[in-house]
Amino acid sequence: MTFDFSLIFSSIPKLLSGLGLTLELLILSSFIGLVLAVFTLLMRISGRWFLMAPAVAYIYIFRGTPILVQIFVIYYGLPQFEFIRTGVLWPILREPFWCCVIALSLNAGAYVSEILRGGVLGVDKGVLEAASALGISKSQRFIYITSPIAIRLSLPAYCNDTISMTKATALASTVTLLEMTGVARTIVAQTFSPYEIFISVAIIYMVMAWMLQKGFGLLEIRMSRYLKATAG
Amino acid sequence: MSKQEPDMNTNKSEQEPIVILEHVCKNFGGFKALTDVNLTVHEGKKIVVCGPSGSGKSTMIRCINRLEEHDSGRIVVAGKELTHELKDIDAVRCEVGMVFQSFNLFPHLKVLDNLTLALKLVRKMPKLEARETAMRYLERVHIPDQVDKYPSQLSGGQQQRVAIARALCMNPKIMLFDEPTSALDPEMISEVLDVMVGLAQDGMTMICVTHEMGFARSIADYIVFMDQGEIVEINPPMEFFENPKSERTKLFLKQILTH
Amino acid sequence: MSEIAGWADDFFWGAMVVIRIFAVSLVLSVIIGLIGSAMKLSGSRVTQAIVNAYTVIFRGTPELLVLLLIYFGAAISLTAIVQFFDPTVKFIEIPPFWAGAFAIALIVGAYMTETFRGAFLGVDPGHVEAARALGLSQFQTFVYVRIPQMWRLALPNFGNHMLSLMKDTALISVIGVEEIVFVAEMATTVTSKPFTMYIIVALIYLCITTVITLTVMALEKYANKHLASSR
Ligand SMILES: Nc1ncnc2c1ncn2[C@@H]1O[C@H](COP(=O)(O)OP(=O)(O)O)[C@@H](O)[C@H]1O
Ligand SMILES: [Mg+2]
Repeated sequence: MTFDFSLIFSSIPKLLSGLGLTLELLILSSFIGLVLAVFTLLMRISGRWFLMAPAVAYIYIFRGTPILVQIFVIYYGLPQFEFIRTGVLWPILREPFWCCVIALSLNAGAYVSEILRGGVLGVDKGVLEAASALGISKSQRFIYITSPIAIRLSLPAYCNDTISMTKATALASTVTLLEMTGVARTIVAQTFSPYEIFISVAIIYMVMAWMLQKGFGLLEIRMSRYLKATAG
Repeated sequence: MSKQEPDMNTNKSEQEPIVILEHVCKNFGGFKALTDVNLTVHEGKKIVVCGPSGSGKSTMIRCINRLEEHDSGRIVVAGKELTHELKDIDAVRCEVGMVFQSFNLFPHLKVLDNLTLALKLVRKMPKLEARETAMRYLERVHIPDQVDKYPSQLSGGQQQRVAIARALCMNPKIMLFDEPTSALDPEMISEVLDVMVGLAQDGMTMICVTHEMGFARSIADYIVFMDQGEIVEINPPMEFFENPKSERTKLFLKQILTH
Repeated sequence: MSEIAGWADDFFWGAMVVIRIFAVSLVLSVIIGLIGSAMKLSGSRVTQAIVNAYTVIFRGTPELLVLLLIYFGAAISLTAIVQFFDPTVKFIEIPPFWAGAFAIALIVGAYMTETFRGAFLGVDPGHVEAARALGLSQFQTFVYVRIPQMWRLALPNFGNHMLSLMKDTALISVIGVEEIVFVAEMATTVTSKPFTMYIIVALIYLCITTVITLTVMALEKYANKHLASSR
């Protein structure tokens, strides 16, 4: 048993094409997920039961079930219904790529809305009272006080969630999608050299995680300037 | 408008008072934080509120700008009664400046933006004018040079002075202070009290919760003593210190003055 | 409805497999987490570096990839080793249940390591000093002062890791363990009711994760009893 480096080198082009798909999945789902998360958060903190209840149910369902199962329900499950197969959304729902984007976005939406909520709850109540006392209205308080502070507070958890999302894109390989893990699995199936291929791919994922960590770290430092005490 | 004028409030007591509390009660769950509180504050008057911890001092002044909602009784501020029907509570709030024990500056905004935010959002003041106003009040609290710093870069005394300037920027009719010096290191207390004395001398109407008895003696028109959610007595400082009426006041004064 | 009834016992046994793999990996991951955090806290530079590498690798790699690597990698390595002694052996299969349990335990163990370490460092050193000053031995201090506080600090994260672990078990259908996703795949080929079948899987997971969440909440309430009463 040897470690076949030539195999790694010959696989690099294929793996990189998979990386492109991985990034597409990640960026699209993160973006849609973030939009969903903000809406869910607003519903969740609206104080009105008919908005809060659906938001809570959505979060509960998507955080309580494995992403793999969600992908399977959407990709394998939905075509069970005639109206899906004849509906306008069928061109989207029959594509494994879009099914994965949908599942990953819904997942991100649920998790990120909870992360943002944590940030919102972390905002000092006294600071908001001070804003109230100045006559600043509720919506203005949310925009100018709560949001910037909450975003800063949510950043570390959001970074971790984005790394989790990166890892979750690998699940797309279970519905025939040839993103990085999918490509790796086909190469391993042909060559039966799991170590070389899987470890190379794992390194690429780790580099991605590392870059995300660094990127968010810099962003956090930038956004935390106001916390740096320089005078006593 | 008249708040910058020198002290000439002798014949103003004929006017409508700025703050009226009548039979105000407030419960937290089953706990009675305020019971039948009555207080009238005329323009230009300085009221100092004292009393043991938990006696309802904060609750009372927080009811005045409706950070707490009272359960029964009547509260009128600047001619507007605070009720559930009152839609525009923010219009009342910007007539009432408030300074908190823990400063509560906006941590993510520089000093200047702390001062101008409400001017821009609530008063719809143009940027330049807001900046000028802010600078004027920063000078008044003696820290115009800190304008580009974040609150975390200031000392406690400086932060509290920024908080006072922030409230003054809105040109309020009355200022509420909730133990503004309790969170400060001893050496910083006087710089904040100096600012407050200056404000008092300029004729600002003030309600101060504080245990700084020297300050109370020198500027208060009346001292309100609270205990267990009730106003026990209201007296001018001389009377209050020399000749307290109730036993509870005597006990409190003994505790606070013997160290 | 009749399609479901026919598969009820398969789903039941599948759920049992899920719970078994959950239990096995949970125990393993706690052991890994305890050892890892101890090494990170008290070990030499080298052991700290090893543990750091371990946590970085297993927290940065997709769970699916770890699972595939361990399942296929172990098979290849074992085969190579056995062939060294007995060249007639063609291929050795690793039991997928154990490969899966081990892979999941390694992943979750990396998270547990960080959580346990954080909890250990989160205990107020003043309390430890106070206990030592009162004459408690190092061991007594650990058992009576550190453990109860660590437990309270670690609980929220620990609960989240248990939930991740539970959801990770869905992956092992990929290597052919006959748990509920696997059952749903089988059932789909026979009944052509994929939605129904996968929704059942989702519901089963939702039930189990709900039980875990409620348990953790109850434990948290118990662990924070002394804090709640003081307010
Ligand atoms: N939000 C609240 N919920 C429940 N109890 C409160 C709340 N705010 C104040 N209290 C109670 O009301 C009483 C009066 O509080 P407060 O007005 O803050 O007293 P003071 O400012 O005189 O120390 C205290 O016993 C306090 O515990
Ligand atoms: Mg108070």
